[in-house]
Amino acid sequence: MFVSRSMTIKVITVKRQSTLLEARSLMDTHDIRHLPVIDDQNNLEGIITDRDLRSAMPIRVKDKETLQAQKPDFADLKVEDFMSANPVTISPIHTIQDALLIIQKETVGACPVIDENGKLKGILSVRDLLRTFINVLGIGEPGTLICVLVEEKVGQLKKIVDAVTEENISFGSVLVARYWEKDKRALFLYLLTNNVTRVKKKMKDLNFEVLDPMQWYLEQLPKADQG
Amino acid sequence: MKKTGFLYDQQFLLHDTGRFHPEMAERLQMIYKGIDQADLLLHLTSIKALPVDMKWIEAVHAKAYIRRFEEVCLAGYNTFDSQDNQMCRETFEIAQLAVGGVIETARKIMAGEIQNAFCAVRPPGHHAEKDRAMGFCYFNNVAISAKYLQQQWGIERVCIIDYDVHHGNGTQHIFEKDPTVFYYSIHQHPSFAYPGTGREFEQGVDDGLGFTKNSPALPGQGDSVYKQFFENDLRPAVETFKPEMIILSTGFDAHIDDEMSDIKVTTEGYSWMTRFVVELAEKHAKGRLLSVLEGGYCLNRLPELAANHVKILLDM
Repeated sequence: MFVSRSMTIKVITVKRQSTLLEARSLMDTHDIRHLPVIDDQNNLEGIITDRDLRSAMPIRVKDKETLQAQKPDFADLKVEDFMSANPVTISPIHTIQDALLIIQKETVGACPVIDENGKLKGILSVRDLLRTFINVLGIGEPGTLICVLVEEKVGQLKKIVDAVTEENISFGSVLVARYWEKDKRALFLYLLTNNVTRVKKKMKDLNFEVLDPMQWYLEQLPKADQG
Repeated sequence: MKKTGFLYDQQFLLHDTGRFHPEMAERLQMIYKGIDQADLLLHLTSIKALPVDMKWIEAVHAKAYIRRFEEVCLAGYNTFDSQDNQMCRETFEIAQLAVGGVIETARKIMAGEIQNAFCAVRPPGHHAEKDRAMGFCYFNNVAISAKYLQQQWGIERVCIIDYDVHHGNGTQHIFEKDPTVFYYSIHQHPSFAYPGTGREFEQGVDDGLGFTKNSPALPGQGDSVYKQFFENDLRPAVETFKPEMIILSTGFDAHIDDEMSDIKVTTEGYSWMTRFVVELAEKHAKGRLLSVLEGGYCLNRLPELAANHVKILLDM
């Protein structure tokens, strides 16, 4: 999973000399919060965010007349004076995992994606990551979640995959989670079917415990509190 | 006692889903047996399967989809659109007969020959989308009936209540932009159960916004949560909408003994829900209620669930 597959390619950008009002208008029109700042050769020069604009133009009133009246006060404000000049960037060949860790560590809402020559290739925002994960988790596809408890040893997942495959059922996703009991793992199988009774029975026949997902959740709670 | 119709036809058993499939012919046989052994048949108006005018199916499903279903079926394929949808050469014809039977039942209700009815049909319908078979469903029986009631009988507001344990994605999507059909579904939460839709924030689209309502219940929940949802979500919505006719997507798979889900509604809980819907129909829709079978896979429980359901419709 590479950034290039998940990033937004049609990037809305501004120039250093653009005004903040132009930037505001672009963000409102496209419902976005981050604008990369580029030069005429598509080199990344910085980023300006919704928060930068709000700090620079602290308009609190909602009524349109006052808003229009205040606009001239801001007409001369330029993007270059308010942008972040050295934004956190990522490369198209970073993985999604890299991007998650970078965005979390740097506490930013989006990263411009640049190639090795500093040219802007795209932007990856938290929204893009959400879309990616909705896709990865198979949430959009019809299926059923089964939670299976297994011992942590080699070959367990294979048995489960084999059993599901024998039923001619496809996987939407598989998540492996730590279980509070030592040497155990909870497997969340998202199966693309309505027909899970036989799979559940097979799991039991293989001596795997099929967990009630709510039971799992409730028993997790005190653990989370102890944190 | 009310005049209650009962649609059942041995032809519905001919839709063969192969070995080990939960949506099997025995389901209907157990439903029939339960109603028979409770000595209810003599009180019921018997209704049989009927050929359907294709225009009603086309009122919901894309022509290309209907043609594809027919071709795949007659070519002898044993699945359609998904491994879930096991079928045989008769499936296309039986699916049409099911629709035809349900429409005939709706006609009898509108003509005043009966007040309400239970349609024990296979294959089920509420997962079937306009152009896609899903979750054992091919033609959306309840959606087609709603269109029939509106177009043939001038019914302006139809309410579809769906207490099958799975969300009726097909029915919701078919009517999500339509303010004349209110769709309510109570089901196991989509993060755990098929088909992964039916969250609370799905409330309709465009003109239909506010005419879809979903009550997802968490695994392990049962009668008490279902009763709260019916009182707090369903009742006020129906009071506001004032339907002229209620269609019930009757799935018995939320039962505690049904292994298709982790919802724990009891036999008494089912009776409570059915009574609730019957009372809504009496209050708003002159008692007109069309109940159509969807899921329900616990063969040991289907007899009592079906018998209780019909008894409540009969007001016995």
